[in-house]
Amino acid sequence: MNLIEKYLAKAAGKEEVVPGQDITCKVSFVAAHDVTAPIAIRMFREIGVKKVFDPERVALIVDHVYPASTEKARANVWTMDDFSKEFGVPLYQRGEGVIHQLMYEKHRQNPGDLVVIADSHTGTCGGYGQIGIGVGSTELAAAMATGTLDLEVPQVVQIYLTGTLPSNVFGKDLILYLGSKFGSDYLVDRGLVLTGPGIGQFSTAERMTVCNMGIEIGSMITIFGTEEREEDCFETYEIDLGTLEPQIACPFNPANVVPVREKAGLKITQVVVGSCTNGRLNDMEQVAKAFQGRKVHPDVNVLIVPASREILGQMEARGWCTITRDAGATVLNPGCGSCFGAHEGLITPRDVVVSTTNRNFPGRMGSKEGQIYLASPATAAASALTGVITVPEV
Amino acid sequence: MEKIKGKVIILGNDVDTDQILPGYAMSEPYEEIGKFAMAGLPTDDFKDNREPGCILVAGRNFGCGSSREQAPIALKQAKVALVVAQGFARIFRRNCINIGLPVFVADAVNQLRTGDVVEVDLEKGTITGPRGEITSAPVSESVLKTLEYGGLIPRVRAELGIE
Repeated sequence: MNLIEKYLAKAAGKEEVVPGQDITCKVSFVAAHDVTAPIAIRMFREIGVKKVFDPERVALIVDHVYPASTEKARANVWTMDDFSKEFGVPLYQRGEGVIHQLMYEKHRQNPGDLVVIADSHTGTCGGYGQIGIGVGSTELAAAMATGTLDLEVPQVVQIYLTGTLPSNVFGKDLILYLGSKFGSDYLVDRGLVLTGPGIGQFSTAERMTVCNMGIEIGSMITIFGTEEREEDCFETYEIDLGTLEPQIACPFNPANVVPVREKAGLKITQVVVGSCTNGRLNDMEQVAKAFQGRKVHPDVNVLIVPASREILGQMEARGWCTITRDAGATVLNPGCGSCFGAHEGLITPRDVVVSTTNRNFPGRMGSKEGQIYLASPATAAASALTGVITVPEV
Repeated sequence: MEKIKGKVIILGNDVDTDQILPGYAMSEPYEEIGKFAMAGLPTDDFKDNREPGCILVAGRNFGCGSSREQAPIALKQAKVALVVAQGFARIFRRNCINIGLPVFVADAVNQLRTGDVVEVDLEKGTITGPRGEITSAPVSESVLKTLEYGGLIPRVRAELGIE
């Protein structure tokens, strides 16, 4: 068995599992946010059980629309608040941060544990060795009631990493590169495990970025293994990290990827650095290093969105908020803002964005014609300074 | 399960959840979600051809992106009877089944046209249209069972013995 199969077998209480097998897994933690929780709560109440499976293994997070941009968004928070009090589960509702970052900071489970979150970027926790399964609201409601999740054991694709990572290439560039190789759907219903002597160059935060965007190439589970090659994989691909260069996803799909140099010089109007993908301290460090003593281009809105209050505090302690502000950028409150088209930086057909977020679908940040390019924080920061897409020199 | 008969609307590859239900509509109350079905589609294919009981027939990776259940709920409330695609994103596919909206994996997008009336037999895995029959793998027994319950919640209630 490979790593994913071993973990799934453990969660299912079985000696062995094989690809295609239907299993029922024990769930270690369950969470939802203000977009998915209201419907999950509605469905949970429809089931009619009197309690959640374990109040210490459930959390609700308001991250998508905080502070509320509409009365309807605020009403959803009240739905969550009522549920939190009635069923005794914690609610983070004062701008503490994005769900996947709060799971890391406050609710880390043991390696190999299975975490179910009503959000597609749940794979993020594979960066620190957990199996993250993204689900919708109804499946979450069922998991919250039963503490279990039904799934089928996936075929597992292995990426075996060797070589030395160039200094201007990051986890974001690796996962975008995988998108360019596999396309948007090759890994649907499959698992992805990253191994090999090259993985030591990726910090936990960088690994979280890679796992976060596994879903953009369809992956059901994305996880980092060890430097050892995993046995019993469906396929194994070897990548020499030394051959990689900065990558950028072009409109309108995260898997529509080319090297940044092919788009260098394209004029931009907005830069976003943040989100569950790239809103961590290491990402903000790239911004602070690039912006120190410089000004962003006068034609560009630059929005910096830390993934949590903890990260924002660290940025302040290091003087990075001052550097960023003095450069002419705007530091927004921690959360999902600017990523998904509800508030905090909506765009028109005239806008061209370089963003470190995870999706560039039509209309993702507002106008269906607005152009979004996805890249690493280093590429985004370099482009913010020049006003055009720029290969970072780090 | 009964056969599903309806008028076809053809869609492309990688129709993502922002197209099916845009981010700005995610905070809408449950009952209002259907008003925003396919509001993010860059073309008017859905708007111009929708009717109760219509069948969406798409290319690869339908429903990619977000886990938002509002996307399939919008389609169901807009009275879409069935989604057929060459392939579905995993979470979207499960969301559809969990809310009782049938989905069917079949390579039909190049063999049908918008406006065709087809009859789909999920148990046999066939689409019968004006230019013949398209076959694919039948829908699994477990999925059929969930669909017959009307979704996952009634199924879980039954399995937990809740009346």
